[in-house]
Amino acid sequence: MVNRNVVTLLMLVFGLLCAVMLVHAQNAPEASERGKEVYEQSCAHCHGTEGRGDGSAAENLLPKPRDFTRGLYKIRSTESGQLPTDQDLFDIITIGMPGSSMPGWETSLSADERWEVVAYIKTFYNGFKESEAPPRQISLEGKIAYSEQSVETGKELYVELGCVECHGNVGRGDGTSAPTLTDEWGFQTWPANLAQSWNFRGGADTEAIFKRFIGGIAGSPMPAFEGDSFLHFGLSVEESKRLTELENKDEMTEVEETESEKFYEKMDVAVDLALNRAEGIELTAAEQQTYDDAMKVVYEKSWHLANYVKSLAPEERPEPAIGKNVLRSQYVQGELPGMEDTAWEVLQSRHFPLVGQVVIEPRQFNPTIDSVNIKSFYNDTEVAFLFMWDDRTHTTGDEIDESTGKPLEDALAIQFPVKVPQGPTAPKPYFLWGGRLPVYLWHWKASAPEQVVEITAKGINNAEVQAAQGALQAQGAYTDGQYKLWVKRALKTDDKKDLQLEPGVFVPIAFSAWDGANGDVDTKRVVSSWYTFVLEPVPSSRRFVYPPLIAVLSLGLLFGLRAVVQRRNS
Amino acid sequence: MKTYLLAGFALLLACCYVGNAFAADSGAGEVEMLVFPDSYSAASVSNGGTISGVVTFEGDLPEMKKLEITKDQAVCGATDKYDESLVVGEGNALKNTIVYLIDISKGKDFDKATKLEIDQKGCKFSPHVQIVPVGVRVTMLNTDKVNHNVHIFSSINKPVNKQQTKNRRKMPLAGVKKAEGPVAVKCDIHGWMSAWIAYVPHPYFAVTNEKGEFTLEGVPAGTYKLGYWHEACGTNSDSPASVTVEAGSTATQNFTLKLK
Ligand code: HEC
Ligand code: HEC
Repeated sequence: MVNRNVVTLLMLVFGLLCAVMLVHAQNAPEASERGKEVYEQSCAHCHGTEGRGDGSAAENLLPKPRDFTRGLYKIRSTESGQLPTDQDLFDIITIGMPGSSMPGWETSLSADERWEVVAYIKTFYNGFKESEAPPRQISLEGKIAYSEQSVETGKELYVELGCVECHGNVGRGDGTSAPTLTDEWGFQTWPANLAQSWNFRGGADTEAIFKRFIGGIAGSPMPAFEGDSFLHFGLSVEESKRLTELENKDEMTEVEETESEKFYEKMDVAVDLALNRAEGIELTAAEQQTYDDAMKVVYEKSWHLANYVKSLAPEERPEPAIGKNVLRSQYVQGELPGMEDTAWEVLQSRHFPLVGQVVIEPRQFNPTIDSVNIKSFYNDTEVAFLFMWDDRTHTTGDEIDESTGKPLEDALAIQFPVKVPQGPTAPKPYFLWGGRLPVYLWHWKASAPEQVVEITAKGINNAEVQAAQGALQAQGAYTDGQYKLWVKRALKTDDKKDLQLEPGVFVPIAFSAWDGANGDVDTKRVVSSWYTFVLEPVPSSRRFVYPPLIAVLSLGLLFGLRAVVQRRNS
Repeated sequence: MKTYLLAGFALLLACCYVGNAFAADSGAGEVEMLVFPDSYSAASVSNGGTISGVVTFEGDLPEMKKLEITKDQAVCGATDKYDESLVVGEGNALKNTIVYLIDISKGKDFDKATKLEIDQKGCKFSPHVQIVPVGVRVTMLNTDKVNHNVHIFSSINKPVNKQQTKNRRKMPLAGVKKAEGPVAVKCDIHGWMSAWIAYVPHPYFAVTNEKGEFTLEGVPAGTYKLGYWHEACGTNSDSPASVTVEAGSTATQNFTLKLK
């Protein structure tokens, strides 16, 4: 309920802001008054009254609200270099752009209003008026169904075409070119994490993925892959195979020379037709056929690639770890598994979404860490956790943040209350590292992957490293854009400042994470609010406490009874 | 799902609410542009004149910035590379300056025989400044066996950003419709790679060589405004030089440029 109230309050503030903006609106002469009205009411505070992407709220946002005066649109059904269709614009306004601040307007604007605003934003760029022909759309014909085989083929193309340069080995956006990318307006930008397709701006279905890499993502570094971006454009699959064979020969015979020459000529023809087409030169029917044949091969490959990209992420974003998805540490007998142990594979990880910390200066408005995923086992004396989170860069503090003088470094902090609140309504410490009620923290940094520091905090800027350390065993590793951190601790410790754990008790847990390469330092970080976890009690038959207890009790009862009976008898 | 929407919405509102807490760096500065005639008609020019000269640099020469090669070391890092936004040779000769006629509306046609190419050898564009006539295809060369993406930041013409994979040795690009530029050319995969293309409507454009020299040939006799453009030194579009060429003879015009 408290949350609801906060949201209502914020909405009021929002409404007020909008009202203020309206008063300041300028009167630009415009065809559709209604479209303009909708725009100025709902869009201008981000996209700016003149459509330059410079509204009052734009300053803190990254990616920036789109500057409509350049005609650059990311999410198109159209070929590279083409404008979007009206339907494209309508759809993106309806759905919004996940992973950015662009909201969807399906519920707050009527379809009519959305069409009006489409017409209005088009007036910001003359290209819409000037273009003679409707934009050329990417053909979705001949879709190849998802299969293991198709995914395998797609995987090869992912490397061959160089997606790997930016998106990394397994697609987590950690390619070797990732740290140096900037968008059209000079702002740093990151390749999409293909394992987190819920953040794709244009949707995660196979068709959407297919359109994104064929048409490119205008305004971003992501290039288009069409026609001659593909190996041996103009040749059939068999011809391409043969040419590769020939090209790999140390020396070609004269016959082979002529054979390969023929292939090259064929490829030149296809490229020439593609260029004619791009330049607006009409193709003859025969030429069109040749071009279509060449594109057929490209499109086939593209469907395989789209299937591969699709395979990298779960069908949907995992549910957050609440309700039936709460993190339940599983009991095992004997030694707890180490970091690389296959025993972990039997557990399904629990998903904890993280958001930028925007309450206390310095804030993080443009977070790069999406979530942390967790598994846990415990035994009679210890508990082990496996934390996994995606980060596109491995940053260990070599660079110093100018404003704080502190090293920029990747890190994770796991937060518990010092004392578990008794009952679900009992107050928990403030979620940002406590306050009046203190929190107990495990702080891990990428520069010391084998070490977790125990901290007690009474506020985000009031943290104290505990005098007694060494209760925790830790191991951290970074591979292919993902951190794995393994931590083990005794359920009970002697330190009064530590949290003491007991099966069956629901314990609040929360997180902070830092991506050094994204400028995260101090309070500039991503955080979660409180979640809970529990050491899942074992069914009593397997438990060792109750059966012996009951045995002792019943034995006692038996002895007691016997004594009573004996006394009576005597 | 609802939780995300609410969280997202709250975050969004918080952003709006918090207001001007941080200012991000603004994007790249405005690039100064060339000036093109409203129209141009080509005809044969007989007994044209020549305009030539030398462009030199004046001022304290900043140290050449060595570029940081962040990947593909074997290919890209084989030789040291330097920022080419200001290349000054012997005698302060200023390379890569575009010198051109601003107000010509009639003159010779383009030399159609020249093949226009931009090489990416060693993960460096060369030439650093390329003149490309409107409608003419320029071919991107890639002999390095690494992937490049050819990203041309046009705003008047259609922007281009296209992958040129390591197997694609020659990739011609479609001719453009309108005069524009110079526009930046980048490879995002190798973020240090940088070049310029000027899409031009007439052939009276030249780029200075290592010695700072330029030559415009076959200029119909007359008086012209002579403009220049340089990446680091800007343009003289506000006050171009005035040059008179006589038939069959050579007029000389030198320029001395300072940093913007
Ligand atoms: C809270 C700020 C915000 C508001 C309000 C907002 N937008 Fe956006 N919008 C954005 C951002 C940020 C982007 C860019 C996202 C990106 O590039 O990934 C964007 C992008 C867009 C795009 C570009 C889509 C594409 O394919 O590239 C369109 C169209 C758009 N917005 C329309 C609208 C309209 C219409 C409204 C009002 C009904 C609106 N926006 C309101 C922030 C906002
Ligand atoms: C030069 C770097 C680069 C290369 C190469 C590259 N990408 Fe991307 N990609 C990006 C960037 C940057 C984004 C984020 C775009 C944005 O929203 O601003 C992105 C986003 C995406 C997205 C998300 C689209 C969405 O709706 O948000 C997909 C899918 C994708 N790329 C697939 C691919 C595939 C497949 C390839 C290879 C065929 C590829 N990329 C090659 C840089 C690259």
